[in-house]
Amino acid sequence: MATTVKHEIGSWDTFHNNGPFPTKVLYETLLEAKGNMPSITDRYNDAAAEIQRLIQLALSNREGFRAYGSAWSMSHIAHQKDNMHFNTAMNLKRTIDVDELHPNATYVRENLFFFECGNIIKEINQFLFDNGKSLKTTGASNGQTIAGCVSTGVHGSALDVGSVQDSVVGINLIIGAGIDDIVYLERHTRPALNDVFASRIKARIIRNDDLFKAALVSLGSFGFIHGITVEAENRFLLNRYVKRISKDKALQLAQTLAFEDADFVVEGETDAGGKPLRPYHYKIFINPYVNDTEYVVEAMYKKPYRSGYPDPVPRIKTAIYRDLILLFTSIAERFRNSIPSLIRLLQTSVLPPVDLQVTGTIGEIFWDAGYQGPAYACAVGVDSRDSPKALELLANLAKNEGPIPGLYAMRFVRQSDATLAFTRFPVTCMLEIDGLIWNPQRDNIISLPQFCTRIIEVLQANNIPFTIHWGKNADWSFPGLIEHMYGANAQQWKECRSALLKEETAALFSNRFLQDTGLSEYIVNAPLALAASVV
Amino acid sequence: MESPAISNKKVIHPFVVTILLSLLLSSCYSVRLMNKNGIPEPDPLNTSEDFYRGKRVHVLDTVITLKPVEGEFYLIERCASGGFYSFEYKVTFGGVLLNVITFGKKRQVKIKYVCLKQSD
Ligand SMILES: Cc1cc2nc3c(=O)[nH]c(=O)nc-3n(C[C@H](O)[C@H](O)[C@H](O)COP(=O)(O)OP(=O)(O)OC[C@H]3O[C@@H](n4cnc5c(N)ncnc54)[C@H](O)[C@@H]3O)c2cc1C
Repeated sequence: MATTVKHEIGSWDTFHNNGPFPTKVLYETLLEAKGNMPSITDRYNDAAAEIQRLIQLALSNREGFRAYGSAWSMSHIAHQKDNMHFNTAMNLKRTIDVDELHPNATYVRENLFFFECGNIIKEINQFLFDNGKSLKTTGASNGQTIAGCVSTGVHGSALDVGSVQDSVVGINLIIGAGIDDIVYLERHTRPALNDVFASRIKARIIRNDDLFKAALVSLGSFGFIHGITVEAENRFLLNRYVKRISKDKALQLAQTLAFEDADFVVEGETDAGGKPLRPYHYKIFINPYVNDTEYVVEAMYKKPYRSGYPDPVPRIKTAIYRDLILLFTSIAERFRNSIPSLIRLLQTSVLPPVDLQVTGTIGEIFWDAGYQGPAYACAVGVDSRDSPKALELLANLAKNEGPIPGLYAMRFVRQSDATLAFTRFPVTCMLEIDGLIWNPQRDNIISLPQFCTRIIEVLQANNIPFTIHWGKNADWSFPGLIEHMYGANAQQWKECRSALLKEETAALFSNRFLQDTGLSEYIVNAPLALAASVV
Repeated sequence: MESPAISNKKVIHPFVVTILLSLLLSSCYSVRLMNKNGIPEPDPLNTSEDFYRGKRVHVLDTVITLKPVEGEFYLIERCASGGFYSFEYKVTFGGVLLNVITFGKKRQVKIKYVCLKQSD
């Protein structure tokens, strides 16, 4: 039997200390030992029964219940005041059997994998690698859980690929304590697995595109995500380059993403005719305080996998320098008690003139990120065509109303079809600000909440459509924010959620974050067809 | 009669010696070995503000006494997953000194390790 450890914690915090938040209980469910229950399916179903027991307990106490992963989100999205469930020991993983593929599936069975919620990206990378496969994309490092990634919409900078949730083809949710409350969701237009699979995990199958898309980026509020079916691809390598190029060229590429026609040429990354190849990944780093004529950019090119390339992770490390933002936060760590000095340093420093080239798998390039102390991250999504303007506005905000201790970056991600994906533009530029948490009184500068409010006001005032990363710092209570960002999709999401969940379970899986954003609203008359299979 | 300079020396000496000794005894360094592909066993209650945050840490802080015929020893630890994620040992001047003055019979052990997360 799976067992649950109960900790009466009193208070809970995120990985980067964005709390603390008052919390009564933290549960941690441990799987039955393999030797006692050798079948993965049996252990999976046994864990589901244990989660249902905890859900029933919370329902009986009229309390909330929320699963969380690595606590890497910096907003209060993962927090619940009554019961929080730490998932990472629930990490079963398996391939798909021949008799589990749907007859109309357009997927290659060998590319499909089923992961229990608590698998972190690093262990998925490893498991897929051992099967000759790879995730299509990840975030900039590997510590998040798969359920946590999908629930907020984690992205890298894979401009033609999308975010983590865009590789998901099935979701197994536990939506209550009853026998009918284990469901498996798929798109009806692109089924992947059949009823044999669903019956093995004792799930009721619902094939419905709209429901699936709403549940994809669920903000932890469509129930307990127990397992996720992911489409992987053959493993590949990334050639990574970090270069300084003119600011104008960097921003023109951000706006057009027309790499093939640009004069941004990386030696060795051209076609037979000498034309530049289109990178898999493009990222720009910006120090908003320095009027530099050049920006540091990172470009990665996808290559077929081969063995024998030099290991991109060095043997001796004093600081994990894979990303300028991480470099910055590790330098900034030394200025923790003197934020004004850190800002003075920023105001006089250009970013290092790096010219770095390494090759590795996705798991090696987007490797571990260590703890860097209390940190914040703001990230807004804008249409890539608006990105130079949005950068100018937000850099001016930091200069004129700040300064704040942080660096800016731009990443580019293909559109997602998830109802509440913040990557909702044809190509979304995620404009990010990362840095150390400061004390506005002591350091005599604008506070983080004020700065977050001003981001929204400035973008609205300049008519730039935008979204905000669900897992990052923002003024989540800003009036009308969600409707402004998502329009009718916000209503559609609430209706799908209300159709799938009973009113009491909708309340159970809600939290303060959902209330702040207005997404906790239960639509009593939501059409039940929204949660039924479309045949 | 002692000259003032000599009596001064007597006053300063023990003070300097104490400072030096305490500096040396506390002086130490540590070496951390980690597994590139390993996944650490998580601990949601570990809120330490360093590398170990969120990881389940095992600490060995002891002095091993060897019998005259024993030259080496093994510490046999148990990780349910069967592997180590990271391993950090600390060398202190005090530990080295203890080893020297006991002719190698007492070995100070200061180790922190993290197991691999269990997986199928
Ligand atoms: C060092 C660092 C680097 C980062 N890099 C990136 C990046 O490159 N790109 C990016 O987009 N973001 C990035 N982020 C943000 C972070 O990846 C996301 O916020 C992500 O969602 C965190 O995943 P997690 O497993 O920690 O989930 P948590 O933060 O613990 O939870 C996130 C949400 O998922 C829900 N959830 C988790 N498990 C379940 C489940 N089983 N059932 C239902 N709901 C569940 C929670 O309730 C919560 O709503 C980074 C954060 C940090 C700290």
